[in-house]
Amino acid sequence: METKSSSSSTNLVDQSVCPGDVILDLSNMTNQTIKLGGGLRQDCDAISVMKAGRLRFSKPNKYWVENSQKRYVPHAEDSVLGIVVDSRSDNFLVDIKGPALAFLPVLAFEGGTRRNIPRFEIGTLIYARVVKANPGMNPELACTDASGKAAEFGALKDGYMFECTTGLSRMLLSSPTCPVLDALGKKLSFEIAVGLNGRVWVSAASPQTTIVVANAIMNSETLSGAQQRIMVEKLLERIH
Amino acid sequence: MEYVSPEGLRLDGRRPMEMRQIRAEIGAVSKADGSAIFEMGNTKVIAAVYGPREVQNRSQQISSHALVRCEYCMANFSTGDRMRKSKGDRRSTEISLVIRQTMEACILTHLLPRSQIDIYVQVLQADGGTRSACINAATLALADAGIPMRDLVTSCSAGYLNSTPLLDLNYVEDSAGGPDVTLGILPKLDKVTLLQMDSKLPIDILENVMQLAIEGCKAIANYIREILLANTKQLEYRRGV
Repeated sequence: METKSSSSSTNLVDQSVCPGDVILDLSNMTNQTIKLGGGLRQDCDAISVMKAGRLRFSKPNKYWVENSQKRYVPHAEDSVLGIVVDSRSDNFLVDIKGPALAFLPVLAFEGGTRRNIPRFEIGTLIYARVVKANPGMNPELACTDASGKAAEFGALKDGYMFECTTGLSRMLLSSPTCPVLDALGKKLSFEIAVGLNGRVWVSAASPQTTIVVANAIMNSETLSGAQQRIMVEKLLERIH
Repeated sequence: MEYVSPEGLRLDGRRPMEMRQIRAEIGAVSKADGSAIFEMGNTKVIAAVYGPREVQNRSQQISSHALVRCEYCMANFSTGDRMRKSKGDRRSTEISLVIRQTMEACILTHLLPRSQIDIYVQVLQADGGTRSACINAATLALADAGIPMRDLVTSCSAGYLNSTPLLDLNYVEDSAGGPDVTLGILPKLDKVTLLQMDSKLPIDILENVMQLAIEGCKAIANYIREILLANTKQLEYRRGV
């Protein structure tokens, strides 16, 4: 969404905001375009907040509200962890913790043809990419990257899946590497798949390692980087 | 019975324009998408929100906007005498409808077509002003669930007893049979989303009572904002939020 504006700064940037807060008044602004991200909307001559969170600004002209919630709102190009809930002749129905079930076409796999249609039982965990996410229709997934290669996408075997907030999953995927994953990766070997929809899959050689990694990640949500490292050290002391 | 003493004090020691102590807590129900506890004096309410999620009954699905459902009930132990019917009676159905209509006025349902939002509200302790407390709890729970809203809805009651406008009536004052106005507003947009009144009231007095209720709603709105901002600040360590 784009709107004309002259000032790209607001005194609420990096502050906590609530629904109804007006962050920009457009009535006396001209000559510049601003872009609105999630959690903001244009209401006549004002840009107002519709979700509680922290207002962020990215140069030159992007505003959005960062918030953490349990439900996921699908966005194109997000990587998500879905659970197959039903299979149809031409697509699978996948639960991605969103407002509606997502479609995963049977041909949306690397080298997908009518001859080699994948067989997924109900309950299979799938790592997929959101291809389409329009409000008026069910989201569409694909188990390939933009170039058509399988990459890391597909069914996830074994391991343990747990749910967290969308904020924690964004933190785990942030760059540089999240402190909790950095600290765990130095001492333990494990595989992890993080979906932006608030689902995390962990697989390790032993159940003990899997449980430690899962607990460390779940505990890290409200801790600073230093606190996360201390927490991991204490957890590892108990198992060694 | 004298509800306001000559010194200008009510039965519970409050001034006529004084609210009961309010307290709120976010995230009380871990399995819900959003939840909150809201207390106004001895009235205690818990609200849980689930959604936006797939519509369970396909015949109720609306293609242009979200379906909002609300269920209000009072716990059997919420009042002095143990209640027999806690759900499904006419009063509960009416309050469920009132809460649903009030919340629909603030939820941006057109952004979530073909989905469903469920609001469950339970009264744990009742001491007057339950529907106001329920609306305030539901607002907090919706904000916690990350559901897009035009503004925070806040609600407060006011009445007129012994020729005195009273703010935030308790059960004894509510049961006195005098006029009781329940008001719900969108404080930032200055719009009224709920207005209910028991009994009759002259128009000039109604204006005073309504103004009192609006001030109460705005005070609650400020408190709810503080709670939401504090909840966001708790997560400020997180880089990704």
